[in-house]
Amino acid sequence: MAGNMLRFVFRRFFKRHDLERELNEELASHIAMDTALRISEGESPEAARQGALRQFGNLGLVSEVTRDQWGLAWLEQALKDFRYAVRTFARVPLFTAVVVSTLALGIGSSTTIFSLLDGILLRALPFPESNRLMTLWELPPQTRKPNVVWMNNFVAWKERSHSFSSMAAFMGLPMNLLADQGSEQVPGLAVTADFFTTLGTAPLLGRTFRPGEFWTDEPREVVLSYGAWQGRFGGRPDVIGKKISINVRHYEIIGVMPPGLELPNHKAELYIPHAIDLNDGRNYSVIARLRPGVSAHAAKAEMASLATNTARENIEMDSGWSATAVPLLEQAVGPVRPILLMLFAAVGLLLLLACANVANLLMMRACDRAREISVRLALGASRNRILRQLLMENLLLAVFGGLLGLVLAASAVHTLKTSLPESLNIPRLTEVNLNLSVLLFSAAVSIFSAMIFGLAPAMQSLKRNVSEELHESTRSVTSGRKVRRALVVSEIALAIVLVSGAGLMVRSFLRLASVDPGFHAENVLTARMLLLPVQKEEYHAEAVREMLARVRRLPGVMAAGSIGLLPMEGTNSGTWYYRADRPDPQPSARPEGDVSIITPGYFEAMGIPMVRGRVFNTQDRTGAPLVAILNQTAARMLFPGEDAIGKRLKVWWTNTPVVEIVGIAADMRHGGVGTPPDPCLFMPNDQQPFPFTALVVRTASDPVRLENAIREQIRQVDADQGIEKFELMQQMVSDSIARPRLEAMVLTAFGMIALGLACIGLYGLIAFSVTQRAREIGIRLALGASKEGIFRMILGDGFRLTVVGILLGFAGVIGSTRFLRALLFEIDPLDPATLVTVVCILLIVSLVACCVPARRATKADPATVLREE
Amino acid sequence: MTEPQRYQNRIEILQGTLDLLVLQTLARGEQHGHGISQTIRARSGELLSVETGSLYPALHRLEKKGWLDSEWKVSQNNQRAKYYSLTKAGRKQLLAEQNKWRQLVEAVSGVLEPA
Repeated sequence: MAGNMLRFVFRRFFKRHDLERELNEELASHIAMDTALRISEGESPEAARQGALRQFGNLGLVSEVTRDQWGLAWLEQALKDFRYAVRTFARVPLFTAVVVSTLALGIGSSTTIFSLLDGILLRALPFPESNRLMTLWELPPQTRKPNVVWMNNFVAWKERSHSFSSMAAFMGLPMNLLADQGSEQVPGLAVTADFFTTLGTAPLLGRTFRPGEFWTDEPREVVLSYGAWQGRFGGRPDVIGKKISINVRHYEIIGVMPPGLELPNHKAELYIPHAIDLNDGRNYSVIARLRPGVSAHAAKAEMASLATNTARENIEMDSGWSATAVPLLEQAVGPVRPILLMLFAAVGLLLLLACANVANLLMMRACDRAREISVRLALGASRNRILRQLLMENLLLAVFGGLLGLVLAASAVHTLKTSLPESLNIPRLTEVNLNLSVLLFSAAVSIFSAMIFGLAPAMQSLKRNVSEELHESTRSVTSGRKVRRALVVSEIALAIVLVSGAGLMVRSFLRLASVDPGFHAENVLTARMLLLPVQKEEYHAEAVREMLARVRRLPGVMAAGSIGLLPMEGTNSGTWYYRADRPDPQPSARPEGDVSIITPGYFEAMGIPMVRGRVFNTQDRTGAPLVAILNQTAARMLFPGEDAIGKRLKVWWTNTPVVEIVGIAADMRHGGVGTPPDPCLFMPNDQQPFPFTALVVRTASDPVRLENAIREQIRQVDADQGIEKFELMQQMVSDSIARPRLEAMVLTAFGMIALGLACIGLYGLIAFSVTQRAREIGIRLALGASKEGIFRMILGDGFRLTVVGILLGFAGVIGSTRFLRALLFEIDPLDPATLVTVVCILLIVSLVACCVPARRATKADPATVLREE
Repeated sequence: MTEPQRYQNRIEILQGTLDLLVLQTLARGEQHGHGISQTIRARSGELLSVETGSLYPALHRLEKKGWLDSEWKVSQNNQRAKYYSLTKAGRKQLLAEQNKWRQLVEAVSGVLEPA
């Protein structure tokens, strides 16, 4: 029986044509037999045939209901609906194009943003049980902002904690790689022994470091990232055991990691072991894996209690400090979370707007189609049948919109991944792609949209009374008018929220971009490097002095100096310094500030003016009195109302020097354009040599051309010395605000799309109502109404809708303030100037959108309009 | 105009009894659609008439359920026709339908002539 049925289904499905033919034959044979019977009963052949046919009934209907028994009728019907829908849309190509592209815009943009959200925020990091990985931080007494860790505390945590199964410290360092074409400095990580054990990822080739910390004599072994293996060693498997020169020492390659294994925000090509030096300062990032069964919360609590103990043991270094644990993913993507969520919310609004617009278009079209549907209802089509048909049309629109949207999203994601500058520092951007969950999301969004935009018009179409519809002309169609108006009002409200969000972001960005960073960035080239290890620290100072002397002699160079850590990177050295002429403050109350190690020429090259006193000169070297320069903020902090020049400071730096202040420099924004100047203490590189250095060179004209000359001068000083990178200061400044710029641009694009959609919606509604009211307007004109009156009437109608939409939108704007505040730079989320501008833009745009149909209304010739009816 | 008269004494076939009638008719041997409708009419004393719009859907439905089998054959007067026959399952179904019918008749009689 099952076989019988299977055969049946098979035949019915695949041999449809045979079946049709067979059925026709069967019914024909029935009629033939009846005819024959009637003839044999004495009727004439003609009468017999007529009688048989009459007796048989409606041949088409009989075969139709019989076919229905075959099953799969729903499929048949769906196909029919589908073909009908395609034909319907083909008749109105412009309408279809507008609807599909509106949907594609909504679905495409929300899919794009979702793929970012998925790749960056939602998907697990590429490590086994990555949700068990935590980053550990110290919390300074005053700011309580996560701070890198003191090696001494790392060791204490490692020995005492019970929350973690393993723990490792690491530090990002440029690594001087000696290659055939000369030296190069590539990003690397110096890690303690348990680093790879903690991450839990096995190497692709070879092995990783052996367990057990290295206290001295760390092995000269290096693990390659997949990228370095492919890019620098051609992906050859025989690299294991090869020796390479890193920081002028030979390291043996012992392993290659699989692709994608990279800590977020820690780009690295090479991993070398790092020996634990308890005297080292707060320089280390720490990663740890939670022991099974231990919650992140418990680990956090244990860190705090461990820190209480270390604070008691090491009063000098740890007093007032606490510690905490932050999940790796949260730590990695925390900074971009608010903006991603904001974009997602924005794109959600955009999608709703697109749906509202499509719903509106469909409802207007439903009015045009009212007669068609009424005729079909009158001819006996069931309401369900028509509803199915309309839903099929909507589904078709959603599918096309979704597919086109997916294409848009794919190209947008590709563009984002390839063209976003690295300076944006968006974590995990490489992990963003259109995977299954993104596809599911976009399918869900398409169906969801179809339901939103499709249901109202479909219901509206069916609610009508058939006979009324057929008797009266289309002008009587007023049902759904309220829904349409409500849709347009909500479109305007959504547009207000988006446009004002965009306006705020743009204003915020413009303000950020116009901030005076306190230096002149144009025509300044920087070359940063980590100096190669030397026997005596002074040699570092000597090397930099020699490089600068050579660079200054290059033609076109106006000034040159160096600084340990460049501005605009968001990082700096920090420590405590306080007046030496007063008793030492309590350890937990010591003032904190930045420290910059510079050479003579730095302030000139950067164009930072001195407020008082002098700059460093060649006399400030070893053996001479130790000197320092403060910025204005530091001077105000340490010597309020006093002259700082000549005063002495105690500095927590190598050998805790006491320095004399010889100058006050104007404030500049070191951390980034958006962060106000921190207190900063400058010390000369000749007296406090520092292995990190960046040459800062001001030139008369375009400095890029000097890159090779500078490289050559550095090579002349030390042939093995590689350069990490050359960068234009102007580019660095612009990079430091690249993210807010992008955010402002994306939101502006969204805002403009929203405005456009709302505008089309309003225009469509007014234009439609003018068409609908043509007769009324004709009568009014015929009765002597003025054209201006008609114009004002139509315009007033649109204006009222706009005002209601604006008021509603404001509720949304107020609701989103808390959300926006964190993203804005020195701009209030309810900034009156922005909001007023946005309202004006919206009013103007909506008036323009209403003017066109309003003018058309006044041009109507009453005689023609009335005759048409 | 004698035609309409022919319908006057006909009884509408009860919903659900058509299957029984078709199965019962075919229990006596294979038959085509026209033959089935003729048989039912004749055996009901011209009282029952099966509309083609009910008969053919019923035949196709029963075949799909596996109670009938079909085969194209040539009839006595040289007419090609689709002949239906009962399958094993069809015979079982016929018994079930007969029982159901008897119960219904008893129940209805009980209501009409209370003991």
